[in-house]
Amino acid sequence: MKNSLDPYFKNAGRRKLLTREQEVHLSQRIEKGDESARAHMIEANLRLAISIAKKYYYSGCNMDDLIQESNIGLMKAVEKFDWRRGFKFSTYASWWIRQSVCRYISSHRNTIKIPAHASSLSYKVKKLISEYEEEFGQRPTNSEMADILGVTENMIKDSIDSIRLQHMVQYDGTVGNDDGGRHIFETIPDENITLPDDELDKKKMSNVIATSLSRLTKREEQVMRLRFGLSEIDEKDDFSFKESDIERVRRQ
Amino acid sequence: MSMPKGHKSKHGYATVSSMDGGLGYREIAEKMSESGDKMNHSTARNIFLSAMKKIARDSCAAAGAPLCDENLKRISSDPRFQSGVIDILRGIDV
Repeated sequence: MKNSLDPYFKNAGRRKLLTREQEVHLSQRIEKGDESARAHMIEANLRLAISIAKKYYYSGCNMDDLIQESNIGLMKAVEKFDWRRGFKFSTYASWWIRQSVCRYISSHRNTIKIPAHASSLSYKVKKLISEYEEEFGQRPTNSEMADILGVTENMIKDSIDSIRLQHMVQYDGTVGNDDGGRHIFETIPDENITLPDDELDKKKMSNVIATSLSRLTKREEQVMRLRFGLSEIDEKDDFSFKESDIERVRRQ
Repeated sequence: MSMPKGHKSKHGYATVSSMDGGLGYREIAEKMSESGDKMNHSTARNIFLSAMKKIARDSCAAAGAPLCDENLKRISSDPRFQSGVIDILRGIDV
């Protein structure tokens, strides 16, 4: 199948890659305000922007938009590149491009827009939770996380809420890409209904327990009743499970 | 270093805290002793676990699970099993 981006990819490869000397020469011209040099620098590095954008293909965002964002990052890099530092342009530009794409993804992935700083804190919180659980076998408290990350407890709470938002789905959306498929709300189980299998299991277990009760010693029955809070101890009371109790369990 | 209290099952402590609405082992021991059957908290726990083990044995037999001592001990001290038994008993108000 022909991709709508194919012509763009073809055009992006037209300009030859720049040598280090060419990069310096173009940068010097850009500093003097030469627009054609700027365009040349951008066009020669479009492939870099595409290759970085492709790495985020599975982020769920549209590929056209990702490439557009990476190009914006590339343009920013061209503006800010300082040839005197001696680095290759691609080394410098890849950070700007990645930052631009990541920022776009974090602001467009969710139905509710989460600010970039909150998204960054959420990432740190998520990482901290997983590392802490691995180290200590339990989840850290909000105050512990606040101490470690040097933020307030409220910020941690908000971050955890925003992590939950990332898993939000449209209630009446369809499952998969099929328009004729089922809606998401149709796949959510009703937890108030007892399944026939569960009901049968419960009846079977009641019967089993009834049999077991008749085999308990008087002491065991008394201790079990007290432990489960089934009766209050009273000298006049007979603690034992009566035949009628056992029969009732069996019937149940 | 202090000794760990009770058996730590994968799903929580089964033998340390008291059940919801029920009594702890020390309280059970006190009440039983008051009523003439003198015992301490360890005995109360052992008696309770023995009762649970009997129920676990019948449940395993019904479910076709292994009846080995290790399995029965694990199941009888599992808080989820105890909570299932308590649900059934409380549900029918014996």
